[in-house]
Amino acid sequence: MNDILHPRPNPIIAAMYTLRDLDADVVLMHGPAGCGFMASRRLEEAGVHVMTTGMRESDLIFGAEEKLVRILRDIDDRFNPGLIGVVGTCASMIIGENLDGAIKKADVQATVLPIDIHGCSGPNTTGAIAVLDAAASYGLITQHERDRQKMLLEKATLIEKERGLTSKSYLKPHPGTTKLSAAQAIVGTLRKGGKISVVLNAKKETAYGFADIMRAVEHARSVVGGEVHYIGNLDDKVGLPRIRRYASNILRDLDDANVIIESITGGLDEYAVSGKKAAEALKQCDADLRIIAGLPHTVPDLSKNDVLVTDQARQIRNYLEKGFTIAVGELSTHADVMSTHTVLRSELGETIRQVADGGLA
Amino acid sequence: MRQLAIYGKGGIGKSTVSANLAASFAESGLKTWYIGCDPKSDGSMTLLKGKQIPTFLEQMKDGEETNTVEGFAGIKCVETGGPLAGVGCAGRGIIVAVQELSKHHFQQDDDILIYDVPGDVVCGGFAAPVREKYANEVYIVTSGEYLALYAANNIARGMANLNVTLGGIICNSRDISDEKHIVEEFARRIGTHLIGFIPRDGVVRDCENHGMTVIEGAPDHKQAEAYRQLGRNILENTNLTIPSPMDPEDIRTMLREMQR
Repeated sequence: MNDILHPRPNPIIAAMYTLRDLDADVVLMHGPAGCGFMASRRLEEAGVHVMTTGMRESDLIFGAEEKLVRILRDIDDRFNPGLIGVVGTCASMIIGENLDGAIKKADVQATVLPIDIHGCSGPNTTGAIAVLDAAASYGLITQHERDRQKMLLEKATLIEKERGLTSKSYLKPHPGTTKLSAAQAIVGTLRKGGKISVVLNAKKETAYGFADIMRAVEHARSVVGGEVHYIGNLDDKVGLPRIRRYASNILRDLDDANVIIESITGGLDEYAVSGKKAAEALKQCDADLRIIAGLPHTVPDLSKNDVLVTDQARQIRNYLEKGFTIAVGELSTHADVMSTHTVLRSELGETIRQVADGGLA
Repeated sequence: MRQLAIYGKGGIGKSTVSANLAASFAESGLKTWYIGCDPKSDGSMTLLKGKQIPTFLEQMKDGEETNTVEGFAGIKCVETGGPLAGVGCAGRGIIVAVQELSKHHFQQDDDILIYDVPGDVVCGGFAAPVREKYANEVYIVTSGEYLALYAANNIARGMANLNVTLGGIICNSRDISDEKHIVEEFARRIGTHLIGFIPRDGVVRDCENHGMTVIEGAPDHKQAEAYRQLGRNILENTNLTIPSPMDPEDIRTMLREMQR
């Protein structure tokens, strides 16, 4: 039995994020106050209103259907939302609350999706798939889009199990190797006239943070010389409207910084399969130094001296334990990108700029 | 596909009625499921020559593919199973098992599903079989005794809350005087009807001792005919209503009045 001990997201959190992707106006957690609280804060920054039915001991004993009906009607009156997702939690689902029944009883103006999952329903992607299923059955997305995303999510779960956070029983957070050493390796390679490949293979909104590395490397190239090839999962013609918006915003900002993506490997929700295309593009480039930003472990056939950049401290520990030598942490990325519509400055990006401009030895 | 759920007071004979009903449907050629929802997992034994089958939830827990077992006359038998007494959450078990069954097992050409649900509807999980997409036809088993009627009335209250339709009341006789009339009157007062009367007969116990239903063990006995008659009544039944439960005190009053 391989018990995994470190904390990680569950289906509830994945369901909340997927509702955000669908541009839901309100995510209503049917459960105790505090359930999904940290994720709620971030999602509120992205413009989603997260609310809770605030279940109490007496609701566990007597059921909370009336409360859910009352709160749904209240939300409908006060906020006039177009789309509400009611997300199950451990408390409500264990006692057998009937989300679908309550929603029908509430009979509100808004479209309301029942998301019948809880924290123990399986890997976190189960929650995302449950939202897609509900969205498809209510005609908000096509069956084809649902099938496409389900395949991608299942693939992502598999990669995490094989090479990511769930491949180890316990991972202690690691702050990452220094940005300075990575920046010096990058600028040094360019200064010698060397060739660098930069891969962005990132998940959805986090690309707003990681894309800055491309801008910084392009800046360094313009100052010290060398050759750079850019590869990214920035197709703005696949996925839900919100995800396409991210890609086109990022492409616009990269274009402003003279970064031209030579190889578009897929969309921002396709990181689980676009990594393979990125690996092929990397092979073609045959660069002296390779930078992989976002979710590096989704790109197969990496070499031990590649520069890996990611946002999760446990993932960094995972990379270092697997023998990679440069694993840089952009640890505030996820918190920073939630409300942005433009590419944000990253710490590694700023360090590369400083080194290239001669600000550091 | 007809989906029936059989409820009633603990020990009133739900499993015996359910299994004989399933057997009577199956012998007439209907594709029938028996789904025992009691963690004790004993309801299907008379369809399986007295054998116990691996429970559905145990199979799911061990990550196995869930299998069903064929019993008398090709009846597909399932015991949802559940935790040992005093631990875990049996209600959650029923929810998960019912979801898994409808997702992976029931077929378009199945004719009739019988959910045999434990005693009282003590939590949300015990109502899972009567959620909208599952059973929409509840039958409550009772005798003419006060406590059985009291429990039946409570179940009717639950069904009314859940907006579930009741198909009728089955009287499983305990040989008390004027029992049929008592149960008929009770059924009328909660807005439904008596769908069948099963007399008390030792042949039921004799057959159970051989791991069989009466339909299988004593097919020519008049008791078998009583179950068959109940089956026919259910198949022809179109009288589905949301019940209106009685005030429990009124049940006593009714019984006192009928005593005279």
